Amino acid sequence: MNDYGDVVVCAPVTVPYVRRSDKGAAWWLGSALRRLLEASGLAKRQVDGLCLSSFTLAPDGPAPFVQYVGLSPRFLEFLPTGGACGIMALRRAARAVQCGDADVVACIAGDTNGAESFHDLVAQFSSFSRDCVWPYGAGGPNESFALLTEHAMRRTGATRADFGKLCVAQRQWAQRNPLALLRGELTLETYLAARPIAVPLHLLDCVMPCAGADGYLVMRRVHAEVLGLRYVRILATIERHNAFPDDPIQWRGGWAMDADALWQRASIGPDEIDLVETYDDYPVISMLQFEDLGFCAKDAGADFIRRNEFGPGGNFPHNTGGGQLSCGQAGAAGGFLGLVEAVRQLTGAAEGRGVDGARHALIGGFGMINYDRGICTAAAVLAA
Amino acid sequence: MKAHAAEGRLALQRCTACGNIQYPPRELCGVCLADTLEWRVTDDEPGEVLASTVLHHSHEPAFNGKLPIHVGLIRLDAGPTAIGFLTEACSAGTRVRVTAKLDYRGRAVLSAALAISKEVS
Repeated sequence: MNDYGDVVVCAPVTVPYVRRSDKGAAWWLGSALRRLLEASGLAKRQVDGLCLSSFTLAPDGPAPFVQYVGLSPRFLEFLPTGGACGIMALRRAARAVQCGDADVVACIAGDTNGAESFHDLVAQFSSFSRDCVWPYGAGGPNESFALLTEHAMRRTGATRADFGKLCVAQRQWAQRNPLALLRGELTLETYLAARPIAVPLHLLDCVMPCAGADGYLVMRRVHAEVLGLRYVRILATIERHNAFPDDPIQWRGGWAMDADALWQRASIGPDEIDLVETYDDYPVISMLQFEDLGFCAKDAGADFIRRNEFGPGGNFPHNTGGGQLSCGQAGAAGGFLGLVEAVRQLTGAAEGRGVDGARHALIGGFGMINYDRGICTAAAVLAA
Repeated sequence: MKAHAAEGRLALQRCTACGNIQYPPRELCGVCLADTLEWRVTDDEPGEVLASTVLHHSHEPAFNGKLPIHVGLIRLDAGPTAIGFLTEACSAGTRVRVTAKLDYRGRAVLSAALAISKEVS
C-alpha cells in the first residue's frame, strides 16, 4: 500500500515568527492549533489525531500538551526529529487517516526562543554532540555544517558565490512573504562581505534561530470538500535515518538511498516538479538535496546552481517563501516550513509569490546533526 | 576515556566480541550491540584530516578569547572519525597524529598535529 488514496493535506497555518519570545513552547503550539481550527471551521473535539514536534516543550511532552490544550485524540505522535519532522508527521498522519485510526490529524511544530533557549538546546542537543563536538569551541551547528560545507565545496567545486546565489534568490522570495523575518534587500556583495562564523560559513549562510510555529491538517478528501478547504494530494514520500553510516564524512544524504523509490511511487520525475522546497538551514544542504533527489547528477550541484535561476520568475522556483535562511528557524517548525509553503503554493494561497500553474511540489527534510552528520532525511511529492 | 586522557593517553573503545573500534564512546558496541567493550589505549593515533573549519564565533564565553579556533574532522586509521582541535591549519588530506588530554572543564578532548612534526621532534 504505497499510495495514500484519498488522503489530503490542507489548512497550512503559521504563527508569525519572532526573533525572541518569552512565551513557552506550549503557547506557540497551542496557537498553531487554534489557527488550524479557525482555518478549517472544525471544533476541537473533531480533531482526533495529533502529530507534535518541538525541542523546547520540556518538561512537557505530547501527553501533558494534549491536557494543556484540552484535546482528546485517539492518535498521538511525537516527532522530535528536527528538519525531517514535517514530512514524518505527514506520513504518519496520512496512514492514520487512511487506515481509520483517526479522521482529522493536526500536525503542529513549534518552538520558543528565549534569551538562553538556543544556547541550552545546542549545548545539550545529544550525548555525542555534548561530549564530542561542543568541547571543540562550542560552535554549535555552525561548526558541524562548516565541516560538511568545506568538504562539499572541494567535492563539487562550489564557491561561496554559488551558495550566495541561492541565498539572494531566497531573499527575493522573502520580500514577497510577510511572514519572513528577514526581508531586507540582499545582494551577492553583501552576502560575500558578511563576517566569518565558521569558515567557510559566514553570517548569511547560517540560519537565524527564532520562535514560531507551523501546522497543517490531514484528512480525507471528502472531508476537506465538506469543510470547503482547498487541499493537496500526497503522491509519494520517503524517509531514512542514519543512511550510509560507513561514509567517513557526509557527502550524500539518505535521499540518495530512496530517491528512485520516491519518483517511482510518484509516477512523475524531477522534470515535472514546478517548485522545490529544500531544507535549508545552510545552503550546502540545499545543494545536497538537488543532487541526491535527482535534480542533477552527484557532484554536479555547483554546476546546477550556476545553470538555473531560483528566484521569482526563475526556471527553478526554490524555497518560495524565503526558506529558513530568510524566514528564520523556529526550532522544529523549520521541519514544517517547506511543507506548509508548498501547500500554500499548490492551493493558490501563496499570495503575492504564487508560482504560476504550479501543480507538483517537492519538499525535502533534513534533521538532527548528531556528532558529525545529519541523521534524518525525508522527502515528499505533493500535487495540486 | 577521561582517566586515560588525564595521563595524556588516547583511549578508544574496542569490542571484544566483534573487534569493532568505536568513537564516540558508548555503553555497547554500535555494530554488534555487545557490551563487552575494552579500552584500547595509545599515546596517539594516526589519522587523516577529512575536513576543517576555522571558528570565529563561539557560544561559550570561555572560548571567546581563543578565537579563531581550528577544528577538523579526522579519520583515524583505527577506523572511526573524530572531531578534534587542529594545532595548526591542516587542510584535508593532511596526515596527523591525534592525542588526548583534559580541557579546562575536565572533559577529554582530542587534538591533531601534523604527523611530520612528531617525527622531527
